[in-house]
Amino acid sequence: MARLIVDPLTRVEGHGRVELLLRDGRLDDVKVRLLESPRLFEALVTGHRYDAVPELVCRVCAICSAVHKLASLQALENAMGVTVPPTAAMLRELLLLGEHLQSHVLHLFCLILPDLREVPDILMLLKQGDPLAVGGLAVKAFGNRIQEIAGGRVIHPVNPVFGGVAYRPGKDELETLAVELERWQRDWPELAAGFEQAGHYPAAGTALGSAIATGLADSFALSGELLWYEPSACAPVAEYVRLLGERSRPETYAKDAAGASGPFLVGALARNRLAAARGVPVGRLADGLGIHANNLAQVREVDWILQRIGQLLDALLGNAGTGPLRAGPVAVRGGKGTAVMEAPRGLLVHHYVVDEWGTVVAADIVTPTAINQRVIAAQVLADLADEADPARMRQVTERIVRAYDPCISCAVHLLPASGDGA
Amino acid sequence: MRTTSSLKLSWVRFTSCSGCQLMLLNCETSLNELARIVELDAFPLVSSAGDRSEPVDIALVEGSLSTPEEVERLLAIRRHSRLLVAVGACALNGGINALVKGERRSCLAGIYGEQSAGWDSFPPQPVHHFVRVDWQIPGCPPERRELLESLGSILHGGWPGRQLMPVCMECRCNENRCLLVEDHAPCLGPITLAGCNASCPARGVPCEGCRGVVPEANRDELYRLLLETGLSVQEIQHRLERFGGTPHGQADR
Repeated sequence: MARLIVDPLTRVEGHGRVELLLRDGRLDDVKVRLLESPRLFEALVTGHRYDAVPELVCRVCAICSAVHKLASLQALENAMGVTVPPTAAMLRELLLLGEHLQSHVLHLFCLILPDLREVPDILMLLKQGDPLAVGGLAVKAFGNRIQEIAGGRVIHPVNPVFGGVAYRPGKDELETLAVELERWQRDWPELAAGFEQAGHYPAAGTALGSAIATGLADSFALSGELLWYEPSACAPVAEYVRLLGERSRPETYAKDAAGASGPFLVGALARNRLAAARGVPVGRLADGLGIHANNLAQVREVDWILQRIGQLLDALLGNAGTGPLRAGPVAVRGGKGTAVMEAPRGLLVHHYVVDEWGTVVAADIVTPTAINQRVIAAQVLADLADEADPARMRQVTERIVRAYDPCISCAVHLLPASGDGA
Repeated sequence: MRTTSSLKLSWVRFTSCSGCQLMLLNCETSLNELARIVELDAFPLVSSAGDRSEPVDIALVEGSLSTPEEVERLLAIRRHSRLLVAVGACALNGGINALVKGERRSCLAGIYGEQSAGWDSFPPQPVHHFVRVDWQIPGCPPERRELLESLGSILHGGWPGRQLMPVCMECRCNENRCLLVEDHAPCLGPITLAGCNASCPARGVPCEGCRGVVPEANRDELYRLLLETGLSVQEIQHRLERFGGTPHGQADR
């Protein structure tokens, strides 16, 4: 049996490799290996005080650092029965939206656009003065400005703290964002159009996997108390262990998750399908699209993100922006808490057990790329079933993996919250 | 030092969160100029190009090292790079990765199960434990300005200015309220390397020391002030060792 190795996977976050096993020249099996060195976050957060842990775990991943910080805070706040005041919750959501905007645009314009233009990287496009590349970077910078103003800095934000947020952004800062937002609400559709033509993407079968995501029952959202999954079911977040059925596999340093009915799919496409199914659509996509539609789903989501940023800025510039920033004094107590949030690339779960002195004694983090690992392999196998040219196999494999917007440094994570019966 | 108009560059990443290289991509308004002066040898996050074998002018190395395979890669990179620049807290002193306590085998087994018995890894180490480092860019994450300044200076055949004062001084210059003395908040500004313009304390957020420890830090006095904030001895220890006080880090060398 011949073996084709795609290593390193380029224009994805982190170090991964795909092994294509060929039998008689045709693809027979696919192994997706996430090759980050083990970082043992679970071991390093235990023994730390509850309010220090979010500052450590945001370092799991830079591109998702805000959502890691927010999900860990919420899980720990749930564990200790703390409710965040509304103004603080709005500022946290604004930060999360900034992260999603930055991440989606980074993926679309810096990592995917070079494929559509058949060049190796965005630097080449910038040298050529490609207007789409230049425009994309300007939107990316806007996403980062939101993160800097709402979060304190662009990576590893410092504003979200246990019980709320540390500071209130200046009115003038929020007003600058509102002014720039108008520009992008006007100009985004033209930039987005660059990703619409199906001819730019490799021919592909239907995207595989059962979608799973969090969100609200009556509106699209990036966090929630429920897990929605196909076909048409939902469960409380505490069910995540049973649902995701995580397990370790020898060929990779990340753990993957398999649903009872085949692998799960997480990310913008999964969110889009589930939102449409529960009647709160976030931009329409045609049925039966391949995995490259994940890029289109990100484009649609940016429309929603820009709209939602507008709503939050209006509220924060009005009376809602003047409320308290922190919950009252924290009564330290033991407990366990879970929070789920949507990272740009899909469902993220944080779960902690805290002892009666406020020390974290167990932790569990399930990351989107760990969940997607199996469906990526299945999709490569399905889409390359009829391909015989090894060079094209490599190229298409890279593009399929890229379409998921994987974040491999995230995927190396922690489990299990051993023995606490989560 | 050469003074030609372009730099052949590799970005190499070991155990890290990728934040250092993302920070370079976050220099959106300068990428255009960067594209003109930089020729990529290998930068997997950004580019599918690169032969990854040629000698390069500069290798930017992010992350700490925790497997023998990583060390071999690092040695090869040092051999074919004229300059090697360590970027970010993980590369400089092990960073957050180095905080794992306890015996490594049992930590691995506790998280990944029995399959981890065959994995070959050791506690994360900074880059300078294995190879000569020509320049360091601190921070978790590093500052955009410092990344660009370093590349610009090297392109023109020099080094950027070296920062030796603490974050505290930047707060003084900006007339920020002192969080440590006035609010009894656990701010590490007095012993942390400046260069971030005290951006966190300026927002009322105590410094967590992500840029590492300044030379000749007065740790004793800071320790006394931290005790006054009401933190326990263990919490102070955790806070001080988060960036730069670990047994593996250069701060204690």
